[in-house]
Amino acid sequence: MKTLTQLAGLLAATTALTAPALAETAPEKAAVIANYADIAEATYGDSLQAAKTLQAAVAHLVTDPSAEALQAAKTAWLAARVPYQQSEVFRFGNPIVDDWEGKVNAWPLDEGLIDYVDASYGGATDENAAAALNVVANPTFKLGGTEVDATTITPALLEDTLQEADGVEANVATGYHAIEFLLWGQDLNGHKAGNGNRPWTDYAKGEDCTNGNCDRRGDYLQAATDLLISDLDWMTAQWGAEGEARQAISGDEIAGLSAMLTGMGSLSYGEQAGERMRLGLMLNDPEEEHDCFSDNTHNSHYYDGLGVQNVYLGDYVRIDGTLVSGPSLADLVAAKDAALDGQMQGKLSTTMMALGRIKSAAEAGFAYDQMLEQGNQAGEALVMGGVDGLIDQTRTIERIVTELGLNGIAFEGSDSLDNPGAVFE
Amino acid sequence: MKKICTLIIALILPVSASADSALVDRVISNHVIPRFRTLAQTTAQLAETAAQTCDLDNGQVVSDYHAAFDAWVSVSHLRFGPTEVDDRAFALAFWPDPRSKTTKALHQMISSEDPVIQLPENYAQASIAVRGFYAMEYVLFDEPTRALGHPDYQCALFQAMTKDTAMLSQAILDDWQPDYAALMLSAGQNERYQTDKEAVQELFKAALTGFQFTKDTRIGRPLGTFDKPRPKRAEARRSGRSLRNVVLATDASLDLARQLGQGEDALQSRYDELEHYFTTAVAKLESPVFAGVSDPQSRVKVEVVQQAVDRLLEYTLGGLGPHLGVAEGFNALDGD
Repeated sequence: MKTLTQLAGLLAATTALTAPALAETAPEKAAVIANYADIAEATYGDSLQAAKTLQAAVAHLVTDPSAEALQAAKTAWLAARVPYQQSEVFRFGNPIVDDWEGKVNAWPLDEGLIDYVDASYGGATDENAAAALNVVANPTFKLGGTEVDATTITPALLEDTLQEADGVEANVATGYHAIEFLLWGQDLNGHKAGNGNRPWTDYAKGEDCTNGNCDRRGDYLQAATDLLISDLDWMTAQWGAEGEARQAISGDEIAGLSAMLTGMGSLSYGEQAGERMRLGLMLNDPEEEHDCFSDNTHNSHYYDGLGVQNVYLGDYVRIDGTLVSGPSLADLVAAKDAALDGQMQGKLSTTMMALGRIKSAAEAGFAYDQMLEQGNQAGEALVMGGVDGLIDQTRTIERIVTELGLNGIAFEGSDSLDNPGAVFE
Repeated sequence: MKKICTLIIALILPVSASADSALVDRVISNHVIPRFRTLAQTTAQLAETAAQTCDLDNGQVVSDYHAAFDAWVSVSHLRFGPTEVDDRAFALAFWPDPRSKTTKALHQMISSEDPVIQLPENYAQASIAVRGFYAMEYVLFDEPTRALGHPDYQCALFQAMTKDTAMLSQAILDDWQPDYAALMLSAGQNERYQTDKEAVQELFKAALTGFQFTKDTRIGRPLGTFDKPRPKRAEARRSGRSLRNVVLATDASLDLARQLGQGEDALQSRYDELEHYFTTAVAKLESPVFAGVSDPQSRVKVEVVQQAVDRLLEYTLGGLGPHLGVAEGFNALDGD
């Protein structure tokens, strides 16, 4: 076997020498990883910046409520999602991000926890006793057998008491989607076009207030927005020069490259293609939309996909239009196997084209809700185009894992293997 | 120089290729095809029985249902290729269901006597929440569901469900033989499996994913946390199948892992030990639906079963993987 390996090595060397065009020089792996961390820092920094714009718009809405002020807050929320969704590719490969992510982007939620809902929503369920708690309307309430004083709505109340209350993941009290619900309200249009239709008077003062407790609603919205900012501020710092997220991948090239590819593959396949896109289609359920209150799901999917491409190409366009760019995974792969790099770039482009089609159709008026409707073949084809692209690109990500010799990663950390008897000790 | 290269290629490639290809061939013939054949046969039998009686408590209906569900769980780790076409496997087995979509959609369907069940081609377009084994379980075993609507509609619904399930199962088998089997056997010469190893990796990943789903979901969901055990989240608890599914699914992944490691004595004897620990742990459980998760003493026994599956998972990753020379890769469980 060894002889064959040596021959193969010889063959590879020979091919390289006689190849008409020499492959590009591979970049330093450490430089590729540093650029990845730079992109992460820029992406979270932009998310923070955009959230501050949202915070100002929310403050204006609460202090001087009007239809225009509500619309301005919605516009700011939509803009804030653009950089944030591109950051999702950092989640699965980096435990520090994954552990934190639920605070800012947990979904789906039983929104009745937070505020009033339509009668069709129902009440408490088998899975969630707090599904219709309505914190905005109730200054005190019982939660999991404990009396809670919520007369003052603070970031701490949201974060420490309400978030994942009673151990139920659908009790989402914080983050983008809680804010989204407070701005748009429930989307009661089913499979028809249209998003949530919360009146601006839900934040009006005195007798103009609709649906009650406008002051508490405003407090909740501001507390959730403040919390989002402190969470994004923390995460941006983790990717700074001395930040923990950057440190975790900087010392070890294999761990760093593995984090990059794990994030790309896990987001593409299990998360986006499966949980977020295909499941909603198969359930024909408009509640399965990722940004269901605002009907912004087409953008949510698009920018998730773009984030994956950013990591591979080593590029990110910031919200001020400047480009962060540096040595990339693409350069690394191209130097080892130009055809594999071509395959990866081709598949990423195919996915972005498919996600772009969903986005352009939605922006032209064919809402994502409608695409999910039973028997809507055009919608199904659009969504499945994205799903197929994401699944297909994951196969090539797997090939790159093999090509870069990162296979060993998954085989570590099995010290229990030598002593299966320990099960009964 | 060119001649030497060609010669070397001729010498090198067939060695590993034929070994991997022979392995894939054996696993498809001895593991994959027989199991999908059983699924097609048992689901066809269930549809036939359902077509003959509207008595949903009929003993034959119930035993045919269990046989077909057994057959499904025994292929539930083989989630690639034919099962993933047209959402087939999702429609056969929509679970877990954390947002209770099955109850909501099924109750809506029965209450409104939705005519979608009248034609198989329409029913095949319905939400996966109202199709397959887990939806059938509600019609057979869930009292609130049974109490809804007219018995005639319940009967027609169950017939539509069983027919749909049989059609999906047959379609999967038909795709496997000969087409998908041929695709895997020609790994290295097609776009889907670009090297021989990729076909081996696909099978390896199936074994791993099976163990992982059993550990995290089939056992992990009812376990919840120590402070918040979730017995109502046990899989197929209404039909009393929770533990049975864990055993069948573990056996299925283990059989695949063993076949992939065929001829490697050290691997086989370690799998013998790990299997023994698993069966010993299972034998100590009292409840077929993991009802004991809420009680600290019996909860430990469920945790031990979970650990036993975890050992199988870890050993497959750390022992079988390097033996085969393939990586863990990505799977559908990678998301939240």
